[in-house]
Amino acid sequence: MIESIRKAVIEMDDEKAIELVSIALKEKTDPVDILEKGLISGMQEVATLFARKEYYVPEVLLCSEAFYAGFDIIKPLIGKSSQQSKTKVVLGVIEGDIHDIGKNIVKVMMEAGGYEVIDLGRDVPIAKFIEVVETEKPDILAISSLMTTTMVHMANIISELEQRKLRDTVKVIVGGAPVNEEFAARIKADGYSPDAPSAVKLVEKIIGG
Amino acid sequence: MVCADHGALLMNMTLTEVAEDGERIARVLRYCYDLYDYDMVLVFTDPYVEAQALGCPVTLDPYPTLRGPASNHSVDRTEQIIKAADILKSEIPVPVFVSIKGPFTLAAFLGGVEHYLKATMKSEAEATHLLQEALHHQLAYLRKLLSLSVDIMIGDPLASSSVISPGAFCKYALPGLQTMVDMAKAKNVRVGVHICGEVAPILKHLDDLSADILSIEDIDVETETIRMGGVGTDTILNGDVERIRSEVKNALGNRPIILSTACDVPPQTDPASIKTMVSTARENDPDHGVQE
Ligand code: B1M
Repeated sequence: MIESIRKAVIEMDDEKAIELVSIALKEKTDPVDILEKGLISGMQEVATLFARKEYYVPEVLLCSEAFYAGFDIIKPLIGKSSQQSKTKVVLGVIEGDIHDIGKNIVKVMMEAGGYEVIDLGRDVPIAKFIEVVETEKPDILAISSLMTTTMVHMANIISELEQRKLRDTVKVIVGGAPVNEEFAARIKADGYSPDAPSAVKLVEKIIGG
Repeated sequence: MVCADHGALLMNMTLTEVAEDGERIARVLRYCYDLYDYDMVLVFTDPYVEAQALGCPVTLDPYPTLRGPASNHSVDRTEQIIKAADILKSEIPVPVFVSIKGPFTLAAFLGGVEHYLKATMKSEAEATHLLQEALHHQLAYLRKLLSLSVDIMIGDPLASSSVISPGAFCKYALPGLQTMVDMAKAKNVRVGVHICGEVAPILKHLDDLSADILSIEDIDVETETIRMGGVGTDTILNGDVERIRSEVKNALGNRPIILSTACDVPPQTDPASIKTMVSTARENDPDHGVQE
């Protein structure tokens, strides 16, 4: 059954995911197993297919629909016990930038990785990032930028965090097509990842210390 | 590719002031042409002209933003683009290209980008319906542009292999592109196709369109069609003189090439950088110009 749930995610079948998760729950399968070995494992395979260019953006969007369809049923049944579910990530696309396809894929991979994600959307003003760091106290602030013209604002967020004495409260990670390791180091971010699957690994690494 | 947003900034105008008025579009593009002295002009304000004409909410300042899928509130700026093209064509001695969206990208704007991308896989009827609506509109718009004998640049950013599979490209994007290229070629104008991001998996199909120009990010590839590009948008915005000169020289070593930035010149670009690009090209290629 769990393998079929995994397959439903990979095969982009949201209705099947709902049906199978409901049956599995009726059969008293452990919700954590359904989540980890079914839904999350399915999304991990999707990430691999995307990295190998066997899946493209539409495929990933549909797989994530199937993932969320099952996840929404499971979510209330799962206690917040694991390290991941205690980790809060605030994610957004920088001010001036409306490219959000990549950010949305990062979001689904992070949620599939078990992290709590607060999605601020796209074209997010610097002040909004700062405000949410203050109010939500996330462990990770993940900023996406697709344009050379907007990526420079990432540095402004970090210096604003410094000025407000918030910099030590949160790890800042950055990504998006024009961003690279060197840029991330220059603006004193805590990490950079080139794609969605590695963004999840980066969070894992940072949180794991 | 210097666009009206860069010109507007140089002339202290907002994009709204410029993009809703054909005469102003012509004026800022003319200003840039006089300032930089390049060999072709592109009439382009923002990617959403046609989407807005078909009912999508759009705001232009501080930067162009599509605010949602098509509703019934249409604002038609195509007539302003036509007016600008007409003025520039009569004033400027170099080819005047007008930017028009490929039907696939327009259909995605009309349906909402993510919704449409999903529809290409899950509800073919909806995807095809929007695509037909987009193509229908674009052919009528193209016909009007062709009556001015301007050259055409078809931009289809969402048809990029950074976004959709080569299979989806062939099914949804390619046929409409071919129809538009054929229509333009039948009128004996130059026609270019611009797709940013990854195009390697679809390069052969792009080449087979038999357009006159392929404007792509990576020009270090072999194509029958003349390539356009060579200077990265990051280079023109942030690069120092040496980096710009080096990319220009590299591109010119890759002839035949139409030297250009890989995509639109970012509006905030320092004019000195664009001048460096043009002057380096002149030094290294005295026989410049778009050939007949
Ligand atoms: C730690 O946190 C992290 C970690 C990893 C992170 C992360 C955050 N964020 C992303 N990642 C990473 O994980 C993701 C998944 O693996 C990856 O995300 P990506 O987003 O890279 O990948 C996506 C899955 C697929 N890729 C994409 O979605 C982007 C593809 C390209 C072709 C692209 C598209 C599709 C679009 N565009 Co535009 N667009 C281009 C792009 C070309 C390119 N070379 O990238 C780019 C980004 N666009 C550009 C431009 C110029 C523009 N676009 C514009 C508009 C659009 C569309 C609406 C048509 C559409 C976006 C639709 C949408 N809702 O997102 C305009 C932008 C307006 C604005 N203010 O933002 C406009 C300005 C055009 C205009 N004149 O108006 C260029 C930017 C140039 C620059 N200055 O740097 C561009 C590079 C094209 C080019 N060749 O020059 C990784 O980067």
